[in-house]
Amino acid sequence: MNTAPLIVRPLLWPRILRFCLLAAASVLLLAYLLAPVFWLVSSSVQTEREIVSIPPHWIPDQPTLQNFKAIFLTGLGYASPSANGADPTSGGFIPSVAGNLLPSMANSFIVALCVVVLNLLVGVPAAYAIAKLRFRGRNLALYVILATRVIPDIALVVPFFLVVRKLGMLDSLASLIVTYLAITVPFSVFVLVSFFEQMPDDLDRAARVDGCSRPQVLLHVFLPLARPALVAVGLFAFLASWNEFLLALMFTQTAASQTLPIIVAGITSDFTVSFSFLNAAGVLAVLPPVLLAVIFERYIVSGLTAGAVKG
Amino acid sequence: MARIRFEAVSKQYGHGPAAVRDLNLDIRDQEFLVLLGPSGCGKSTTLNMIAGLGDITHGALWFDDQIMNNVPAHRRDVAMVFQSYALYPHKSVFENIAFGLRMRRVPEAELRRRVHDAAERLEITHLLERRPSQLSGGQRQRVALGRAMVREPSVFLMDEPLSNLDASLRISMRAQIRHLHAQMRSTFVYVTHDQAEALTLADRIVVMRDGTIQQIGTPDDIYERPANVFVAGFLGSPAINLLEGELSTQAGVPCFRRGDLVVSLPAGFQGENRAVVLGLRAEDVGPPEPDGPILRGVVDTAMPAGSDQFLGVQVEGYMAFVRVAKDSRVREGEAIAFGLNPSRLHLFDKASGRSLRTGMAP
Repeated sequence: MNTAPLIVRPLLWPRILRFCLLAAASVLLLAYLLAPVFWLVSSSVQTEREIVSIPPHWIPDQPTLQNFKAIFLTGLGYASPSANGADPTSGGFIPSVAGNLLPSMANSFIVALCVVVLNLLVGVPAAYAIAKLRFRGRNLALYVILATRVIPDIALVVPFFLVVRKLGMLDSLASLIVTYLAITVPFSVFVLVSFFEQMPDDLDRAARVDGCSRPQVLLHVFLPLARPALVAVGLFAFLASWNEFLLALMFTQTAASQTLPIIVAGITSDFTVSFSFLNAAGVLAVLPPVLLAVIFERYIVSGLTAGAVKG
Repeated sequence: MARIRFEAVSKQYGHGPAAVRDLNLDIRDQEFLVLLGPSGCGKSTTLNMIAGLGDITHGALWFDDQIMNNVPAHRRDVAMVFQSYALYPHKSVFENIAFGLRMRRVPEAELRRRVHDAAERLEITHLLERRPSQLSGGQRQRVALGRAMVREPSVFLMDEPLSNLDASLRISMRAQIRHLHAQMRSTFVYVTHDQAEALTLADRIVVMRDGTIQQIGTPDDIYERPANVFVAGFLGSPAINLLEGELSTQAGVPCFRRGDLVVSLPAGFQGENRAVVLGLRAEDVGPPEPDGPILRGVVDTAMPAGSDQFLGVQVEGYMAFVRVAKDSRVREGEAIAFGLNPSRLHLFDKASGRSLRTGMAP
């Protein structure tokens, strides 16, 4: 009797079909995600007339850098509505806020950087303490910190506003830095606590026996190991600050303290809208986060999942 | 150089039961002391208190003539080897070993000399540039040893350092640790649950259970003269045979009685109709002698074990394991009698578990 095992060869065509379906789905998803970004970049170098042409030109016929020139060379007279001789009613002009774009970008940068740095300065010691020290109220501390994030931002706008006004910080970058910290630090602490908790206690103990005080353990052992989590936390704080709109709208009134989202949003509230200029401003607004994401890409995934696994 | 003294030390985690209760222990300078016991007996807690990694709830810990209760770990002249090795994953082997010296600001030249010296002694010089993740378990253990060695501490602590190694490596590392102790002239405190390790390494063994000390003594003391049933049962492989029965006197001679079995005991054991436990180690049986105590039973199983063989013997409803020479031909189901060496019999009070040997500390 033949006892050889019966070998069933998987058929080839279902596998090909599977591959094709997956590929098609991937392409569709990619197109769905990237098309708006592509349109943003493409239309930022188109003239107003080309943008509104039907069918739309994905690749511009006559690429122009006039919008970027207006933003970067604002001191050279590009920013006036008549500078490019266009008709204001058709939208093909440079809005007057063009000159404010770079300063507002600088504001956004300052705010975001301060928030990142302070987040790490506050969040890292707090997370280390909660994760590795035994003290009364340790769990309570973590829950209270997290509970502050249950309240939606919009509910906090009025209290924040009152506090900021009382402190005389209205229309200053400090008002944004302080309130953004209140929003981002709890998340940072939570992610870092999860990360530190995963690290073996013996590492902490070994370092202490080796001669480290608690702050030195943190500095010499945990911080170098926590780099992915630090990057994830820093990036999160940066993006949250960079994109924040509501609080910035409430607390800032002049170009001296306004951030990029406020200025960009302002472009749409002009009498007529220059879409090409709006898109150029949009390109500038997304560039820094995209660059950061590309640079730190390999850290982000491990950093965020490190926080995610532990509940 | 340090003498370590626990004075009525207790340790409690939160509101739970005490992990260590009323510990009094005097560890001599340059001694190799092994804390031995099952998991949860408080031996690691005791070690952590010496290291400064755990607070002391009550009592005092002394290093020589200084109270150490509130001295933080990094200010104690103590080095420690962990079961998990606890190497710094982001540092090279060299930096792992050097870290303690760097924290103590040892000059670079001296530091290099000491690291290379330790690496040479542990035969890991070729690994100095590697990361811990690129090392085998045994190599990591050596690095952990090296990290503690270079510190030249006055107290050297080891928390089950060999538990994660395979059996053959464990034996060779034991020898290495003994050499280390001989060279370093530090006080060694070593925690293990492995009785063989304790018997091999220790100058003195402290057997612990449920946060209290059961017995302190040399390996011989602990093995030959266990203070109670727990200590007797914890040491020895296979475990000591513990037969429950009665102590009585027959014609002026103390006897152990269990059913039809009567074993005469040396003078010194006293008590009438007292419930007792007779402890008999597997290797303490020989050919029957006319006047000596005799153990009778029926062979249940014979298990050859290389150099000799173990017999499972039914003795009045108790399965006793004894070791006999390989060439003794016994068949299962056969009646058998062994001679017992009176001086190697252990007798314990059944209620308290304490040894009834006279002159024995409780």
